[in-house]
Amino acid sequence: MYRLALNMLFGDRAKLAMLLCGLAFSALLMAQQTSVFFGIMSWTYTPVYNIRAPIWVSDPMVEQANDAKPMRDTDLYRVRSVDGVAWAAPLHTSFLQARMQDGNFKLITMVGIDADTFAGAPAVLSQGLIEDLRLPNTVIVDEWGAQLMGRVTKGADGKEVVIPLKVGDTFEVNDLEARIVGICKVRRAFTGGPFVYTTYDRTKQYTLGARRTLSFMLVEPQAGVDPVKLCARIEADTGLKAWTSDTVIWSWSDRSLARNTFWWFWKNTGIPFSFGTAVALGLFVGIAVSGQTFYSFVLENLKYFAAIKAMGAGMGVIARMLLVQAFTAGLLGFGLGVGMAQAIGRAMIEKGMPPFIMFPQIFWATLALVLGISLVSAIIGIIKVSRVDAATVFRG
Amino acid sequence: MSTHADQPVAVRTRSVDMFFGDGETKVTALKQADFEANRGELIMLVGPSGCGKTTLLSVIAGTLTPQTGTVEVFGQRLDGLSQEELTTFRRKHLGFVFQSFNLIPTLSVLENVMVPLLIQGASHDVAVAKARAMLEKVGLKGREYGQPNALSGGQQQRVAIARALVHEPSLLICDEPTSALDKDTGAQIMQMVRDLSRSPERCVVVVTHDHRIFRFADRIAEMEDGRIRRVVEDASLLDTNHL
Repeated sequence: MYRLALNMLFGDRAKLAMLLCGLAFSALLMAQQTSVFFGIMSWTYTPVYNIRAPIWVSDPMVEQANDAKPMRDTDLYRVRSVDGVAWAAPLHTSFLQARMQDGNFKLITMVGIDADTFAGAPAVLSQGLIEDLRLPNTVIVDEWGAQLMGRVTKGADGKEVVIPLKVGDTFEVNDLEARIVGICKVRRAFTGGPFVYTTYDRTKQYTLGARRTLSFMLVEPQAGVDPVKLCARIEADTGLKAWTSDTVIWSWSDRSLARNTFWWFWKNTGIPFSFGTAVALGLFVGIAVSGQTFYSFVLENLKYFAAIKAMGAGMGVIARMLLVQAFTAGLLGFGLGVGMAQAIGRAMIEKGMPPFIMFPQIFWATLALVLGISLVSAIIGIIKVSRVDAATVFRG
Repeated sequence: MSTHADQPVAVRTRSVDMFFGDGETKVTALKQADFEANRGELIMLVGPSGCGKTTLLSVIAGTLTPQTGTVEVFGQRLDGLSQEELTTFRRKHLGFVFQSFNLIPTLSVLENVMVPLLIQGASHDVAVAKARAMLEKVGLKGREYGQPNALSGGQQQRVAIARALVHEPSLLICDEPTSALDKDTGAQIMQMVRDLSRSPERCVVVVTHDHRIFRFADRIAEMEDGRIRRVVEDASLLDTNHL
């Protein structure tokens, strides 16, 4: 009977197309919006992602990775003295204005790293050498920044063309020259400003001699020392806050700086609400369109279901037929929707924005929701058919 | 020479009352309806609109349960059965030919005929083989994979007959089987019903308004106001203007 149920479904192409459109649109909206949401939210903990230090130490009032509360430089020595610390390096982060050669200003995130160890330096440079950062007035810019801060000119066809910054180009930060000695590949920041790396000591120049420039400390535990236990010891000995660099935002560990950053943005911004609204819209549209279409499919076939009942099919058989039809449509709609979401996501990844991360959890949750929509549709149909009297087949 | 009247009873209703609604809206469809059909017989239920033919047919088919009275089909009392037992009974023992064919338009002709067998739990291959053989019997070989809507009214009713008989039911219920057909096609269909269902272990009950097919009946039961008024063997005894 199930094969016949499927043939009934596939035989009505107009209804099937409508049903698949509703389900696919719903799946697309839910998967795509959720993936963009997690993509954007992944930018919130970009500093932790880009700098894979085992332990981060911050001021005790810091709540998340973008919230730097400067500490005294002497705190670095206190941390280094904690039992179990192999080394600790300073890290500066601040938002500054960069003045381009054409006079335009751009917001940048300046990152000052330890010039001796280069702890916190970008892992991949597409141009230049990290050691050149030891030369005077030098910086490394990320690829996004090189593009964003590039020179705009007109091409041969009259269209505007951006010529990205390259090694040797210069710009100014607080009237001080910054000469580019490298272009690096890092994940973009939530704030949208590009990362500009320099040495920790030089950040004092660029920030016009700010009294405190120590935003974070990057700590490596000694061999065999558990990072979580070391975090607790650093906190106990120094009164500072120590975090692990675990970027699994689903983890239960409240020591993860990435996880805390993610949830801080979740609680303190309207981002989850706006994306949640879009996902809920997808769910409701899916239920409304596919439920209504499936109901109309059942209505059109009601007299045939009544005939099948009269011929001796129990409600169990008919319910299973309807479930097979609804779930088949659901799976096809899910495949189409998530396929489209993936295609859009790939196009997004190539362009770099908006960010797109489809976790396996998003895939499975979307599948569950689409099958939930199918189940609701099937239940509506089952209720309708169950109320049909088999005797109606004798009434013309 | 034995007659149909000599055969054991296939269908018997006794003192069946059936009404719908209550209070001022109460409509009595059957009043102490007594009806009998024998094995090997083709019996027609005739009468004016609203006389209770379809209700009696539904009671015999087990799709309606009467408020009072007894219903017996091939020795099985239906009036005491649960809905589940009635469903099982219909699945095993009944075949249906409907007025509007009720062929599922999105299924092929073959698939439509396979439905009763699949409901009974037959395997797909067995259902295909039996449905093909049945379609050949009704003269529709070569039309198995067409859609029902592509067939003429007569051909669609032949598909419906094939579907009604493919699982070899004891009781064939036909509700106005010729009402959508012209005279010649109607006659052909009734001849087919008569030929294919002629068996000492089968009974055919036909509800009809169509006096042109009365000649195919072994007996005709005339209904009036919810009860059987009389049963005749000769259609000429009926006043067809009254029906």
